[in-house]
Amino acid sequence: MFNLSSFVQKAQSAAQQLIDPMQGLNLTNSDRNPSKASLFQSQFRLPGSQTPLFEIPAEPYHPSFQRRLHLSESYLCFSTTPTSFAQTASTSTSSAFTGQTHGAGPSGNGFTFPLCAIRRVERLNSQNFQFSLAITTWNGISQEQAKDKEALKDRKDFREQRITVQLAGSRQTCERFCDGLKKGLRGAVGSVGKLKRVVSECYSEYLLRPEEKKSAASPDAGLGVVFKYPGDPKKLRDRAKMRLWAEYLRDNGRNATLIRQPTFHKLIRVGLPNRLRGEMWELTSGSLYLRLENPTLYTDTLDKFSGRESLAIDEIEKDLNRSLPEYPGFQSEDGINRLRRVLTAYSWINPDVGYCQAMNIVVAALLIYMSETQAFFLLSALCDRLVPGYYSSTMYGTLLDQKVFESLVEKTMPILWEHLVKSDVQLSVVSLPWFLSLYINSMPLVFAFRVLDVFFVEGPKVLFQVGLAILRINGEELLDAADDGAFISVLKSYFSRLDESAHPKSENPKLRAINRFQELMVVAFKEFSAITHSTIQDLRLKNKDAVLNNIENFAKRTAIRNLGPDSKLLSPEELGALYDRFFGVLYERQQRDHIIQEEQIRRAKASKTRASEAFPEHHDHGVEKGRVGLGPSTSLMDYDAFREFLASVSKWAISDAPPASPRRDPSDRNPYFGSFRRSDPNPLSPWGTGPEPANHEFMQRLFRKWDVTNSSSLTLQNVVTGLAQIKGGRDIMGTITYFFELYDDDGDGKVDREGILRVSEALLFLSRRGLEGVLSNSNSTTVLNGMTEADSTSLSPPIGGTVNERFLGSVSAFIRRCFEYADPDHPDNQDELAQARSHNTSFIPEEDKVVEDGAFTIGDDGDDDEEEGDLLAFEGSSAEKLDLTPRPPALGKPTAQDTTQRAVSKAQSEKANVALDPSNPLHITLPTFRMVVLADELLEQFFESSFPTSLHIIDGLPNVASQSSSLTTFSSLNFNRPAVAPPPGTQPGLAGAGRGLRGVLDNIVTDASRVAAEVRRRMEEAQRELEKNALPGQRDEDEEDEEDLQGPIKPSGAYSGDAERRSVRSSDRDLLDGADADAGSSKEIDNANQSRLETNIGQEGRIGPANNNATQRIVEFES
Amino acid sequence: MADSNAPKPSSSVKLVLLGEAAVGKSSLVLRFVNNDFQENKEPTIGAAFLTQKCNLPSRTIKFEIWDTAGQERFASLAPMYYRNAQAALVVYDLTKPTSLVKAKHWVAELQRQASPGIVIALVGNKLDLTNDNESGQGDGEGEGAEGEDSGDARKVSTEEAKSYAEEESLLFFETSAKTGYNVTEVFTAIANAIPETSLKSTRGPGASNAVSRGGEEQRVNLNGPREAAKEGCAC
Repeated sequence: MFNLSSFVQKAQSAAQQLIDPMQGLNLTNSDRNPSKASLFQSQFRLPGSQTPLFEIPAEPYHPSFQRRLHLSESYLCFSTTPTSFAQTASTSTSSAFTGQTHGAGPSGNGFTFPLCAIRRVERLNSQNFQFSLAITTWNGISQEQAKDKEALKDRKDFREQRITVQLAGSRQTCERFCDGLKKGLRGAVGSVGKLKRVVSECYSEYLLRPEEKKSAASPDAGLGVVFKYPGDPKKLRDRAKMRLWAEYLRDNGRNATLIRQPTFHKLIRVGLPNRLRGEMWELTSGSLYLRLENPTLYTDTLDKFSGRESLAIDEIEKDLNRSLPEYPGFQSEDGINRLRRVLTAYSWINPDVGYCQAMNIVVAALLIYMSETQAFFLLSALCDRLVPGYYSSTMYGTLLDQKVFESLVEKTMPILWEHLVKSDVQLSVVSLPWFLSLYINSMPLVFAFRVLDVFFVEGPKVLFQVGLAILRINGEELLDAADDGAFISVLKSYFSRLDESAHPKSENPKLRAINRFQELMVVAFKEFSAITHSTIQDLRLKNKDAVLNNIENFAKRTAIRNLGPDSKLLSPEELGALYDRFFGVLYERQQRDHIIQEEQIRRAKASKTRASEAFPEHHDHGVEKGRVGLGPSTSLMDYDAFREFLASVSKWAISDAPPASPRRDPSDRNPYFGSFRRSDPNPLSPWGTGPEPANHEFMQRLFRKWDVTNSSSLTLQNVVTGLAQIKGGRDIMGTITYFFELYDDDGDGKVDREGILRVSEALLFLSRRGLEGVLSNSNSTTVLNGMTEADSTSLSPPIGGTVNERFLGSVSAFIRRCFEYADPDHPDNQDELAQARSHNTSFIPEEDKVVEDGAFTIGDDGDDDEEEGDLLAFEGSSAEKLDLTPRPPALGKPTAQDTTQRAVSKAQSEKANVALDPSNPLHITLPTFRMVVLADELLEQFFESSFPTSLHIIDGLPNVASQSSSLTTFSSLNFNRPAVAPPPGTQPGLAGAGRGLRGVLDNIVTDASRVAAEVRRRMEEAQRELEKNALPGQRDEDEEDEEDLQGPIKPSGAYSGDAERRSVRSSDRDLLDGADADAGSSKEIDNANQSRLETNIGQEGRIGPANNNATQRIVEFES
Repeated sequence: MADSNAPKPSSSVKLVLLGEAAVGKSSLVLRFVNNDFQENKEPTIGAAFLTQKCNLPSRTIKFEIWDTAGQERFASLAPMYYRNAQAALVVYDLTKPTSLVKAKHWVAELQRQASPGIVIALVGNKLDLTNDNESGQGDGEGEGAEGEDSGDARKVSTEEAKSYAEEESLLFFETSAKTGYNVTEVFTAIANAIPETSLKSTRGPGASNAVSRGGEEQRVNLNGPREAAKEGCAC
């Protein structure tokens, strides 16, 4: 659906674009080769800010440890898992922890110390030139305040935590590691306060406090403290567990300074004691480190958004009373309020997820065991790392993991799987709620929490292992179940009997004492021990595309169906294609933004840091952000995206600036420019691989028209409605009316002088790459311009040979007729002039903006208007007269006669048409506009067929690169000489096109009178014959007139000058281009400069061919 | 022949409930299945599955009811549940006009994507919040001018929804899961509307693993496509 591959490739080359395989399911190709940083974060459950800086083999004198010490910006980690994240390490070494962990979880045995939890590091004198470090921690920091007074007394209960580590590297490696550590420790000093605050909320601090000091309130260990924890504490042996934990924590450190020994994992497997459960979840999931990074985020978020409303909040409100309603805590205001605050705060910090049903159940469960703040960060760790994409707006993570689960069932229980397929039972209808609510609303709470205990240590694979074990244990009964209903009831009854003995008939009392839940755990972790995180990850990658495509198809289907009545005007195929294009453009733009950002960060970083320290950035959001299936990013199209969208369907919407087209065939490259042109397409081009879109006033008008809510952005609905109005009706009157309304800015049914000129500009703009649609082949339209077949054939080159040339004539006639039939605003009131001027300048409020950033500018101040009026007067009537005999464009040297002739006609015209008097504001109405359009067959065809057809919604533009070369402009018209016409895509064509457009449209917009003048010039040679005799008498006078008029507008722009410019263009075009561009916007100047620069550089090496080329072109024009 | 084994053939019908969040889908089912109502029902995660029998004069219909989650983002899961469904209840809240819009979307989705011939009933729930009395007519007949009543939480007039339902050939009801008004009628009407050709024989009942069907005998259509008589469900 989207052109993904090119971006992915680019992403990989532009910046090592990587996603944490555990954090975020945005699985891309790079996941097959995840970054060291993300693996590192995953192993030690560290926040995204941490990257592996140094590591060193180490042998602590602490029992049972022997592996590697890792240092990141603010963490010192030690693990017995043999991983390495050094740049030279292989991926399998870096991801060893995702395989078998034997119950120790990814982080293995060892420790994860925040550097701010390290009080002191001493280097010990040791033999063999080995480095030995003694690390003293802030273990028990919350009791430190007592140090002075009762220091001695405390010493008895409080042992300082001191670990000795022997570094086993070369002297140099050790030195470097120690330097890094020193630097890190210095930086961490400021965070000790944070640490103190964070650990003071941990129950372990209270637990380990000496009895006589427990008077202070204990930290919030969840609603359970008040409303009782689920289950019978005696049955759960809560006291015994608590004693074991107290001992463990005393020996091995607590919370931030805890050391993971094998006992630690065993203690977790047997179930956490109620009051420590929250803290251990926080620690094992790594959400403690998130809290440590920003301890006040939760309260700050609540404060910041206090009183604000959102859709998520509405949804949360609906569910507050229905979250674990059977637990007394959630029948109380206190419990409901906690739940509301945590869900609301999270919906603010992660608007992409917002709120998803099932989060209420999960958070409610967390709140039984932990404080609001802890639950908030744990929810964050869940959504980002543990069950990524589960609660996203498309729930792609949930759907993906269902597919993964199904393939695991197929692999491990083929007979059951076959049965499911045969009886047409869809497994996910059963298993989806297990995963989505982490078994919390499937199993009795006491057991669901036991699953969670292990889940937070070992990660998402636990959900799969437990799910598989459930099916395995119930296999026999499930094989008898023939439909969804039977299947569900088997499992329902199993869950309700989890506390019963698994072997009630056994004679062995020990065996009899094992309940079904214990059995489940054993099966899950023994029988399915082969299911590792890598297994899951591989299957996720394998199924990802199918799942996303399903979601996208569904989303597309739904979106298209809900587009409303306007969409019926378009065919289903058009709507489908439109949908793809709309989101395709948005998606690609986001990708590009992302890549560009990446690149900037990378460059900034590379320039600042030494190469050895430049580690790839970690990113929470993958490069695929923006893909519909992954949930919302944006569904709004801004003006630039709109331009890009138009450029993908219409050739007129492609910019005339020479594109850095990546699709250019090297063999096509013209030697003239070849040496300069960036040979590799710039991957950072703001338009990606597509052509640069134009930025014409017409496109701005279209955007504003479609943007019915004035929000400066379009929804899919807006675009469909907009296009349906143009393409849907296929009714010429409708299209004409539509066009008229585009230019009727105040909606009063009138388009004034300015508007008429803008309409004609738009017509030229839209036709400059040729007309499409059904056009008559006859030259009958030219009759309207007074041209006959005889004329056109007698003159060489043949005029009217191409429709596109004839269209220029039609536009000219259009302007003439418009002014001819225009109604004066106030025929008798000359004083209206001033008013009209101000009207002119104000009726397009964004005019200034257009001038600044548009590619084309329009002189719109009062003075110009006046002169414009004069010129128009000239144009209107002269066109009327002179166009009687069309001529081929004078692209060669104009004669003096031509100039004179123009002057003559101008004088005549001023007298001829009162309506064109600048002091008489005028306008045309819709009927007039319609009449004028219908008077010209070609224009009629343009509105009837050509314009609607020019939007290729379904097939798009076939070959974008070649489009830009085929401009129909005055300077690029070549009178049907295919032999010498620049081949599509070659540089002369492009350059010509660029120039041609500037030559025409710039002039048009800076000096509106030239619309007609340019058209006419094309025909001058034919005209000359007829008007030869009228010249001599008036020449001088009229020339002066002309200069008066032209001078102030554009000193060098008088017709004679312009004509001269054309004649010398081949040699001086660079300079003139510059002058030409002066009249344009700054952007235009840039373009001109750029092309000039290109030309110059190109010429340095290749003067010969360049000159030849230019000469040849002159000859062509003159022939 | 197919009917030889029992005087009253029993068939199971897969029925799916769709509609915006908190319009009362689960409550309707709970009322139908257990004749019960809960003020604070846990939101449905994914979908809930329930069964209930409905006795018609000539046959028994066993409804296998899939009650789906209403939140918008769960919509993409819906195809999983309406797959092979023979009937659908599309529910809206008649105090909430947006819920009818959503209901229309669901109808369109079902008409295009679900099994052909699926029987769809449009149900406006929470009639208890309006001033309409339960003494009003049932079975989707117009209820007069209640739409204009003031001081009434009703925001969707019966006419509007009914004319839409007629346009799309849907069954139409206004119900109250809270009072139970019209609830069984909905299911009975659906049971009656299921063309016999699409009925399969019933399957093994639930947990008691007793009956396991290898093949599914396709019922031969001997009677007319529709049952003429209507009868309340046995619940």
